[in-house]
Amino acid sequence: MEYVSLTIGFIVIIAGLWAIMTNRNILRMIIGFSIFDTGLHIVIVSLAYVKGGTAPILDSAVGINEAIDKIVDPVPQALVLTAIVIGLGVTALMLAYAMKLHKEKKSLDIMSFRDLKW
Amino acid sequence: MISPIHIISIGLGTAFALGFLNKKSNGLAVSLMLVAIALMAAVSSSWFIKLYQGAEAIEVYTAGFKPPYSINLRMGLNEALLSSLINLAGFLGGLYMFKNLKNTGKHAIMVFLVFVMGLNVIILTRDAFNLFVFMEVVSIATAGLIILIQDGKSIQAGFKYMIATGIIAGIFLLGIIFAYYFSGSLNIDDISNSNLLAFKGGSVAVLMIIVSVVLELKPFPANGWALDVYEASDPGIAALISAASATAMYFVLFKLMPIADLQWYKIISTAGLITFVGSNLFGLKQTGARRLLGYSSIGQLGLLMTILGLKPFLGDKFEYIAITILISHYLAKAGLFWIAGLLKKDKLKDWALLRKKPLFLVLFGTFVFSLIGFPPFPSFFGKWELIMSLSQQGLYFTLAMILTGSFLEGIYLFRWLGYAIKMESNESWTFKLEWNKVIPPVLFGILVYLAGYYSSTFAENFNGLYFIALAFILIIYLLDFLPAAVKNILSILSLALVSWYMLPGLYSEDMLRFIFTLIFLVGGILTFIAGFAYKGKREGFYPVALLMYAGLAIIIRASTTLEFFFGWELMTAGSYFLIIRGKKSMAHGLSYMLFSMAGAYAILAAFGLSFAETASIQLSSLAAVGGNITVIFSLLAIGFMTKTASLGLHIWLPGAHAEAESDVSPMVSAILLKAGVFGLMILMIAMGNNPEATRVAYVLGWLGALTALVGNLAAAFQEDAKRLLAYSSISQLGYILFALAMMSHLGWMTAMVYSINHFLYKSILFLTIGAVVLKVGTHYMYKMGGLIKNMPLAFIAVLIGIIALAGVPPLSGFAGKWLFYNAVIDKHWYFQGVIVFFSGIIAFLYLFKLIYSVFLGQLKDNLRHVKDISIWFAIPIYILIIGLMIFSAKPDLVLKPLGEMISVWYPNAGLSWEGGLATAPYGYWNGTGVMITIGIMFMALLGWLLLLSSKAVKVGQFNIVYSAEAPQRPETTHVSYNIYAGYNKALGWMVAPKITEFWDTMSDWAHSLAEYGRRLYSGNGQVYTTYVLAYIIAFYLIMIF
Repeated sequence: MEYVSLTIGFIVIIAGLWAIMTNRNILRMIIGFSIFDTGLHIVIVSLAYVKGGTAPILDSAVGINEAIDKIVDPVPQALVLTAIVIGLGVTALMLAYAMKLHKEKKSLDIMSFRDLKW
Repeated sequence: MISPIHIISIGLGTAFALGFLNKKSNGLAVSLMLVAIALMAAVSSSWFIKLYQGAEAIEVYTAGFKPPYSINLRMGLNEALLSSLINLAGFLGGLYMFKNLKNTGKHAIMVFLVFVMGLNVIILTRDAFNLFVFMEVVSIATAGLIILIQDGKSIQAGFKYMIATGIIAGIFLLGIIFAYYFSGSLNIDDISNSNLLAFKGGSVAVLMIIVSVVLELKPFPANGWALDVYEASDPGIAALISAASATAMYFVLFKLMPIADLQWYKIISTAGLITFVGSNLFGLKQTGARRLLGYSSIGQLGLLMTILGLKPFLGDKFEYIAITILISHYLAKAGLFWIAGLLKKDKLKDWALLRKKPLFLVLFGTFVFSLIGFPPFPSFFGKWELIMSLSQQGLYFTLAMILTGSFLEGIYLFRWLGYAIKMESNESWTFKLEWNKVIPPVLFGILVYLAGYYSSTFAENFNGLYFIALAFILIIYLLDFLPAAVKNILSILSLALVSWYMLPGLYSEDMLRFIFTLIFLVGGILTFIAGFAYKGKREGFYPVALLMYAGLAIIIRASTTLEFFFGWELMTAGSYFLIIRGKKSMAHGLSYMLFSMAGAYAILAAFGLSFAETASIQLSSLAAVGGNITVIFSLLAIGFMTKTASLGLHIWLPGAHAEAESDVSPMVSAILLKAGVFGLMILMIAMGNNPEATRVAYVLGWLGALTALVGNLAAAFQEDAKRLLAYSSISQLGYILFALAMMSHLGWMTAMVYSINHFLYKSILFLTIGAVVLKVGTHYMYKMGGLIKNMPLAFIAVLIGIIALAGVPPLSGFAGKWLFYNAVIDKHWYFQGVIVFFSGIIAFLYLFKLIYSVFLGQLKDNLRHVKDISIWFAIPIYILIIGLMIFSAKPDLVLKPLGEMISVWYPNAGLSWEGGLATAPYGYWNGTGVMITIGIMFMALLGWLLLLSSKAVKVGQFNIVYSAEAPQRPETTHVSYNIYAGYNKALGWMVAPKITEFWDTMSDWAHSLAEYGRRLYSGNGQVYTTYVLAYIIAFYLIMIF
């Protein structure tokens, strides 16, 4: 069972990529990117999981000496916060771009933005 | 020392502080930003200086803990260098975009600052996750900067960029997390030490990390998004992306490669190679400057990636090669984008506008040449080391691909440069220069020369003195505002000085080099004298002419293959500019350059192969080559034959020589072509005695004979006097090739006599005809005629020139023929000999045509008052005639010592001398005696004629009964127009432009391939994303198999 969340994470990543590649609507592509990002976050957190582990808080429940066996790895949890923030920034900027693109051609179809090619 | 961490704190702190500024004080904000970047640059460069002097690299632990408990930064020599480069580019880029940033507002300014700061962290950090964070920061900042100019294109490009880099960064993050999972650390060194590839999942982590960094380097074909960014963003930003971002990302790959193994290095090098060749191929079809620069940038990154992939093979040469090529790319690409931004014209053909500001034309040329890897730029030395190392390792395929890619890049860059120099330009256009946009490209232009000098100091056995010549050329360039006459005097003095310095020593030591020095340098002085005929400033002429002569002098002096190649390339560059100065020379300049480049690469490859065998770059070591001798000999011969314009490689010559200016034609014909002859002689001296080389030489002999025939035949059908002389040069060089290939004492004597003769009479003829053309204003012979009375000086010069060329006694052309027949009989090359003999007869046809149509026959009405040629042309012409006379009357002066020298290699079957009498196995000949005999006969005949002429009837010009020509009728009825129509019918098929057609077809194929290939980049952002994913999958598949 410990791989459930990891598997789900990968499925979400692939679903996100699928969404980016199959939807011509820019907003849907951005949503796809968000899903992809979320999948990444799930994978990061799942990797840190230790079977039967508890939250990485050192208190009366978990002493310093036994911490290494009993708590889940706190580092990825810290990392994922950063990753979420960055993902937010990227998504926001993408949305700003989507707005500009829409203003430009009154369309959100990625196929209408092919002025630069070859 | 200030801790490197303050590079970050200054950047971030200032960026935050800018938020407090008043909205209206945007000018202040930009200035503060520049101050901040300057401080960052000061910190990084002070570290660079310290580390360069030998200090130890330092580690900065950000939270006071050692890794893996905190993020650490490293400041080593590489880091210091690259972060200095980034800050310098950031500062100049900010300066360049001053107004742009000011008008956009302080948010843009903050983003710009964060961008530069982020790149610094990418260089410095040793923590994988931190790396990810700052790659994302830079990526977001880049996306922000792309829309500094808000037009439809930049927005589209920015969105494609975001989607692609978003996915790439996601994969990178995934890789890092897996790496952390298996190694228990985020520190890059810990990760590398943990041997990830030992775990099944670990190798997937390596895959994801490496492939995503590779993708950030825009590999072909997953790079459509990057091309769009280069094309659509502000050139100031594109400059930074191409120079600074690429530098940083390249370093990331360098940093991360230790987590992978040799297999990965190979994959990287292949990916890079595909990118380098593919990108430069597609570049061929580009018509827009910025997209073209994008292709070129991506190509250069591909080359750098290849070099990184080859790191295990390059050993301790790796850093030198990578840094020299990286720096050339960094300086040149930023410079080119900056110039593109100044010009505001994107179409390549509109770059002719650049001519209005010659300084920028020079900068443009500088950057183009440094991208291709010409001397004296750093990439020249880097590429040299790269090729040497590759051949040492036996990586021939990689070597060939790198040269192919460079050649393709050369095609489009030189075509573009040609447009700038020569394309018709709309005169009403102009462009403004603002000082803040001028400083950055000028500074980078200066830096690329300095970096070149500095790189040369690392090259083994390289004589730094050669840079003195370049410095002198620079001075001449700076004096370009002076009148032509002053620069002419300076140029003559400089050549005289070099000759004075070189000739006496060579006379006693090395007759071969002595003769070629005479041809190159004394010939140079004589052709310069003709330059006094030109009024005005003649801008740009003297630096490039001197560049060619410097190159020629260097190939004489060179003792190593590197020096030889250095001189060879300088000579090529100089002569390219000389040729392209001609009025209609744009296309000819390009084809000259392309043949020269291909030839130079053949030479380079051959030197590499020879180095691989002998482990020496001494020119003399060529003689020690044994194993690959056929290949090396053939490559070198092909390389040199691009200069001698042998059949098949000759198509650049007629146009280039015919369209060149009157005093340039002899420079590039009588003098320049001899560089190829000199090269061939060096080659044959070194390798000629090997039986395998003899087999190649046999082929060369045939090639020479056919060249002679076709050249002469084509010359006979020309209507353009200069073209006629140009084809005649092709055939004369064919004789020389044939004679050299005989590889015998007499053969070489013949080759040397022909070389000297060709120099003498071709200078005389080209100078005279050039001077005539200047006076009459046309190249076409049927528009001239009857000029004998107006131009007696020219007539006599041409008469003597064609007597010498025809090989009729008493002039030295006869000496050449006499030696030639002796040599042919001696060698038993009868078939080839007959062809050459036959082509010698054809020479009479065109020589007659030349003198008849120009000087005899009917005088044209419009030329009735034309004066004789300029005295400044007449002086060198008559000096050359005196030289010709002396050589004809006393050939033993040169031939005796020459024979002694040739005896070193071919002791048998030489000439034996008794005073002026030479005896060969098949006859004897006395130059002085022939001269006297013919002189007496000539005087006697002349006297007889004069005696008879007292009874002759004088015929007026319009007495058409006597003059065999109807005056003032269209030229088609002119007797000398198409004078050899009959021969043309019979033999014309031999000179049909089949070879030109062949090369045209090759070019068409390459261009159509590029046209189809580049359709990969459909413009659809989604398709680009698919390529990115497909690229990852392809890497995965390669990894598992």
